[in-house]
Amino acid sequence: MFARNDRDAQAGRLRARVRARVVLAVSTALLLSLGLAGCTNDALAQQYRDGSSKNYVAGDGSITEITVKNRGKPIRFSADLEDGTPITSSAYTGRVVVVNFWYAGCPPCRAEAPDLEKTYTAFSSQGVRFLGVNVRDQAATARSFASEFGITYPSVLDVDRGTMQLAFSGVVAPNAVPTTIVLDRNGRVAARVLGKIPDASVLEALITTVLKEPSQ
Amino acid sequence: MTRSTERIDAEPTERTPTAVSQPRLGIIGWGRWAWRQLTSMRTALFLLLLLALAAVPGSLFPQRTADPNGVVQYFKENPGLAPILDKFQVFDAYTSFWFSSIYLLLFLSLIGCVLPRTVHHLRAIRTAPPRTPARLSRMPGFIALDLNDDGKATGSAVTAPDAIAAARSLLRRRGYRVAVFEGAQTKDSTELSVSAERGYLREAGNLVFHIALLGILITVGIGGGFGYNGNRVVVEGQTMINTLAAYDSFNPGRFFTDAELSPYSIRLDKLAVTYETQNKDARGLPTDYTATVTARTQDSRNGYKTTIKVNEPLNIGGTNVYLLGNGYAPHITVRDPRGHVVFSDFVPFLPQDSNLTSLGVVKVPDGLQQQIGMMGFFYPTKAVAQNGAFYSSYPDVKAPMLTLNVYSGDLGLNGGVPRSVYTLDTSRLKQLTGVSTGVKSIELAPGYSQQLPDGLGSVSLDGVSRFASFQVNHDPAQGWVLLFTVCAFGGLLTSLFVPRRRLWVKAIGQASGPLRLEYAGLARGDDPQLETVVETLAQNHIEALRNRDPGASDGRHPEEDTRRTT
Repeated sequence: MFARNDRDAQAGRLRARVRARVVLAVSTALLLSLGLAGCTNDALAQQYRDGSSKNYVAGDGSITEITVKNRGKPIRFSADLEDGTPITSSAYTGRVVVVNFWYAGCPPCRAEAPDLEKTYTAFSSQGVRFLGVNVRDQAATARSFASEFGITYPSVLDVDRGTMQLAFSGVVAPNAVPTTIVLDRNGRVAARVLGKIPDASVLEALITTVLKEPSQ
Repeated sequence: MTRSTERIDAEPTERTPTAVSQPRLGIIGWGRWAWRQLTSMRTALFLLLLLALAAVPGSLFPQRTADPNGVVQYFKENPGLAPILDKFQVFDAYTSFWFSSIYLLLFLSLIGCVLPRTVHHLRAIRTAPPRTPARLSRMPGFIALDLNDDGKATGSAVTAPDAIAAARSLLRRRGYRVAVFEGAQTKDSTELSVSAERGYLREAGNLVFHIALLGILITVGIGGGFGYNGNRVVVEGQTMINTLAAYDSFNPGRFFTDAELSPYSIRLDKLAVTYETQNKDARGLPTDYTATVTARTQDSRNGYKTTIKVNEPLNIGGTNVYLLGNGYAPHITVRDPRGHVVFSDFVPFLPQDSNLTSLGVVKVPDGLQQQIGMMGFFYPTKAVAQNGAFYSSYPDVKAPMLTLNVYSGDLGLNGGVPRSVYTLDTSRLKQLTGVSTGVKSIELAPGYSQQLPDGLGSVSLDGVSRFASFQVNHDPAQGWVLLFTVCAFGGLLTSLFVPRRRLWVKAIGQASGPLRLEYAGLARGDDPQLETVVETLAQNHIEALRNRDPGASDGRHPEEDTRRTT
């Protein structure tokens, strides 16, 4: 009788141990397969895997808008325009500013250029300023682009010093070429479009939202 | 990988006298059987071998994660085979279903092996050494001797408790765990023994090794998931910033988020390359690359100067910046027919051979009547072959020459579709110079200018700069991987070099006759030293007994103390 009970108890312990092992095995397998398998769908990774050697990281047109209370610190910068004129962020205080990161040889930048110029003309009377940041070209190439597309707002040449890109990098960084960033009146990032702006109206809506905010 | 011999793999199965066939297995039974197979040593070794085998395709075929351009090239060269290989995920070998299955099974096998063994070992550590065997004479290294009275320094006779107490302290001093047992007591003999065991560290080291292996697997996985690496070509005088927009190509880990990019900039001030000039056989081989850079983080006002060499990356903002490649970027200027500069840039040309004959593409999208594209070669030291073709005879800039073929038409940039910067899509371009057109290609030395065909304008070569190709690498788990690697190595060494053995000393006090001492040992695992160890122990023990001071017995054994007082 005693021996029988002992054996039952042993079998019970064994079963419990087996169950614990099975649970462990299954959960480990799940954890690992999550880590290993779910890795091919990311758009950023896909760009790399395509191997197109297009030499820039393209955006997917994703739009980020940041509510007033969630905005970061004002962005401070100083740089030189195409013609050598120095500019600083303080010159833009109190104005809504649209900053566009671009270069002449980037296809989506060329595609969105007319929309940007159109929006600039429409909003300049309301005090909105546009500033281009050319991330790759020298002055002559940038000027040719501007005359080709009739761009009338100035651009900073950032390839040599990189001060603009460094100033804007961080949490809401220009993470694609082109990137369009809307700064509010205090110089804080209010909205960002990664990649070609889908349509002029999208940019217009983003600017209008920021314009409507009461000045602080 | 070794597994302890003491692991009990088979539970005793119940047998009924009539059952001749094997016991029937239920679902749990089969599961247990499968688990036991998976966690057996044989399977683990087999899986390890299979993993090594499965890693082979990864080095035979270009991988998307490491060489995406190579994959594109492979598809072009083998249009029939490539899609079939792709179905079997050959171009993603390390994340393929077959590689993952082996990896996962090995992982499970390791866990299944390590966990029960850890439990077993923790239990073994807490239990005292087992009882001394009744017949030591059956054990390896058995020595028996009678302790005669001669040679004794003092008058008192050595009793069994004295002998055992001496053996006990001797063994303890050598790092053995000891337990004293009382043996069979008869009228004319008392038997007392000490059982000692050492080498628990061997199994502990082995377990540490296995657990550290698991740790390496996990941390490498996590590190890859949260890490990233990106490439950027930077011409001397230009700056790269650690933002996505600044990279030429960027390979993120699975769990990568933009916020991981710490803001900093690196300006390439100068890339100095030293070439071998003395040794005739190695003339022109590069002996040193030094990139002088100015690094700057977002919060600092001014940058600091530093250098990056081939195997000496710059550590900044939690990343390592490696110098990966170099080449020439000719400064090319294009003017319109009126002499206005419409394009001016340093265009990186990709090296094609060891003497840096370089291939490049110049795209001038704006400012001229038509878009023009130019494709050509840059020779740092121009030489002419017998057939009239140019080649580069030395990698440094001694007699530079740039040749360009001109195309005009549509570069295909305006549609918003990504184009490779290193190739010219000539489908909507008209070739203006080169062999088929009858117009001589453009040939430029620095400082010279030449007219473009069709009165499009002119092109000049204004100078030559070097470019460096940097790779930025971020691996948050690097430190952990190092820690686990050190642990695995330490564990392995411990498990290899710490012997595990048991030793016994038995003292039999006989009513008539001398004290009989018996020594024996048992190796657990490989232990070629065992017999020597038993012999040495016996010698030292006898010596200790002979030199013993009768008053200073370190009898900590309560039994012994009581005997002494009575």
